[in-house]
Amino acid sequence: MANAGYQLERFGLIIVWLAVIAIFGVLRPETFLTWSNFSSIFGSEAVLVIITLGLIIPLTAGDFDLSIAQTLTFVSMLTAILSARIGVPIGYIIPIALAAGALVGLLNGAITLYFRVHSLIVTLGVGTFLHGITLWMSDSQTISGVSRVLMQYVIIQRIFGVPVSFYYAVVLAALVWYALSYTAFGQQLLFTGRGREVGRLTGVAVGRVRITAFVVSGMMGAFAGILYTGTTGSANPTSGTTLLLPAFAAAFLGATCIKPGRFNAWGSVIAVYFLVTGINGLSVLGFRTFVHDLFYGGALVVAVMVSQLVSGRKERTL
Amino acid sequence: MTGTSVPRLAIRGLTKSFGGVHALSRADLAVMPGEIHGLLGKNGSGKSTLIKILSGYHKPEEGTLEVDGRTVPLPIPLGRSEEIGLAFVHQNLGLLLEATVLENLIAGDHARVGQWFVNWRAEAARARRLFEQHHLDLDPWATVGDLSPVKRAQLAIVRAADRVGSHSEHASPGLLVLDEPTPFLPIEGVRELFVLMRRLKETGVSIVFVSHDIDEVMEITDRITVLRDGQVIDSFNTAGTSRARTVEAIVGRSLSQQRLVHAAPSTSAPAVSASKLSGRIVRNLDLDVAGGEILGLTGLIGSGYDEVPRLLAGAQPASAGRLAMAGGAVHDLARIRPADAIAAGVAFIPADRQKLGLALDLSLTENAMLPMAARGDHRFLLDHRARQAKTAELMRRFVVKAEAPQQAASELSGGNQQKLLLAKWLQLEPKLVLLDEPTQGIDVGARREIYERLLEACAGGAAVICATSEFEQLELIAHRVLVFERGRIKAELRGDEVTKSSIEAACYGETRTYEHA
Repeated sequence: MANAGYQLERFGLIIVWLAVIAIFGVLRPETFLTWSNFSSIFGSEAVLVIITLGLIIPLTAGDFDLSIAQTLTFVSMLTAILSARIGVPIGYIIPIALAAGALVGLLNGAITLYFRVHSLIVTLGVGTFLHGITLWMSDSQTISGVSRVLMQYVIIQRIFGVPVSFYYAVVLAALVWYALSYTAFGQQLLFTGRGREVGRLTGVAVGRVRITAFVVSGMMGAFAGILYTGTTGSANPTSGTTLLLPAFAAAFLGATCIKPGRFNAWGSVIAVYFLVTGINGLSVLGFRTFVHDLFYGGALVVAVMVSQLVSGRKERTL
Repeated sequence: MTGTSVPRLAIRGLTKSFGGVHALSRADLAVMPGEIHGLLGKNGSGKSTLIKILSGYHKPEEGTLEVDGRTVPLPIPLGRSEEIGLAFVHQNLGLLLEATVLENLIAGDHARVGQWFVNWRAEAARARRLFEQHHLDLDPWATVGDLSPVKRAQLAIVRAADRVGSHSEHASPGLLVLDEPTPFLPIEGVRELFVLMRRLKETGVSIVFVSHDIDEVMEITDRITVLRDGQVIDSFNTAGTSRARTVEAIVGRSLSQQRLVHAAPSTSAPAVSASKLSGRIVRNLDLDVAGGEILGLTGLIGSGYDEVPRLLAGAQPASAGRLAMAGGAVHDLARIRPADAIAAGVAFIPADRQKLGLALDLSLTENAMLPMAARGDHRFLLDHRARQAKTAELMRRFVVKAEAPQQAASELSGGNQQKLLLAKWLQLEPKLVLLDEPTQGIDVGARREIYERLLEACAGGAAVICATSEFEQLELIAHRVLVFERGRIKAELRGDEVTKSSIEAACYGETRTYEHA
């Protein structure tokens, strides 16, 4: 079954990633190629990994969730306000925050399904609306003074020198991988995206599957929001805005590797770290922030081009 | 017909073949100015090939075409037929439902309406005059989606006549090809269309009227041409021709094939019965199928036979109806979901296997194992090894030729896809198997295998309902056949009566209503 070309395609992105590391390593060995640089990349980008994992669930079901980054911002602000202003203990904030994310997902799903509007439009609107609420409740100010307990469990504690937030992302990736590959729900999700009528006629409750996908992505956005606040100890009302495009770029780029042609968890993780390694390397070389947009935007377009090429050819999966 | 002897349309020796098979062979056709000419023939007789040559879709190998005595070089460039003097109204009418009557009327007509500016007021006034001239009650500002089916058909026909009249290079009133515009219209609607057709005829427009409905053709046309197996069998004046002669020309004499089923199944109690079933076309239908019986449903296009499997499977909600399974619950077909039908032992194999049957870019295993995944078997731990082994086993049993179960379904041939689809459903050992055109676009060898699998399922006690327009297929495999007309059962054939020719006779037969015992 295994042929060289297919294996190369599966691991192509990893090879490119290692090549990028090697190039920057040679150019700037003393700054780029250090454990502290990498552990900070791994830790701080856990938020982006989780957003990307959240995106690929509705994407697999054929829906877009453009509101996920604003869910992150909203929940991040909610966490900061509850902790810093009202003094709610972190143990209570987490379930409240996750419930808020689930509610956003439910709203996205309900509008998309009952009014038969394309999810792209619904989630664009809901996301912008959430951003409005975020600005309103924070008075457009950064809220700091969040309980250190949260920071303790996100960024301060380290395992092998890498902040724990990275491990949260890895655990979530494993869960998403398992759900997509080894559960009946994963198959239902796949058919909802790739053959909705086939699924419906075979008894898949496609409406329920789509709503579930939105709820899960809302909750992942919320979890990322909690981590975001935990990473800096504060919440900024525009923090998530710049995360949406990188997450989409990573989701599509991730669909070109590991399981080419499908949105998949480990592909997404690799794609996120490939993208941020590139950005990190370029800024170490002295490029300024404009390079973010060039790199993320370019990567998204290249990724969808490549995935189009991949889907035009043979696809092998379990 | 008329005094002039130059035909509006003259086709001579038109020949077109696909893969070495003649779809049309040396066909001649002449239509006079102001003549309504019926074009009749069964599915696959060459009617659509002829029309597609006229619209520029196919390039014929041989033959000539003249319009008003002028030779037209073939193939006709796509989109230029109106300039030559030909316009087409197909069954789907080609209207944009969301747009207004006026927008539909001028859509794409850049020759007359400027590219950069539309004077809506002037166009609306012109549309009103056009509708008045044809005595049509159409509002230019109405949305087409809000119009009745008859009004939509009228709009499409008037639009075609208007286009051809204003674009024809030689100021000829032109020729309209109406390709099955009537099957979904109520009888009164057909009458209204006929009134419009006669008015157009008076203005000198020629019409080629394609229909399966012999009574309609006999009523409206001046002449009839009949095609069979790609050849023009006969061409005659309608007046003075008997219906029987027309039917015989269409049907011909066919040789019977060896039937694969003989006696009716021994069990007499119905395994499945549907009662008071109504859908979009089907009205108040009752039917029973016994275990081990293959019941064929057929009829002409638009008669509603093909709706029955969808309604029984919950794929399309019925407006009313009940489904009773022997020893099981009674299901309300207005509310049943596909999952409920499947749980009750119903399997539905849709006609469009590429869109509704299989997800083509997913693997054979995923497609074949979907019923179990949809049901939630092994919800939290799919055993991929077992799923692949089961799929491989099904592929052997159903003779699906493929490299491996991991392959994408798109890589299989149509016949193998259909066998996989059959395997996907028959592995569930359903009590009722519903098929819609099970062998569409499939070669003879694969057909045989599909029939064998169906007969096996039958022998295992399943009740099978097969909706198809292929009469030979029913002769081969059906114990009993119901022939539909306008949403009702028109004839029932059993045992030895199930032959291709008797089904044809029943389809084209005169009885408009048949009281089902």
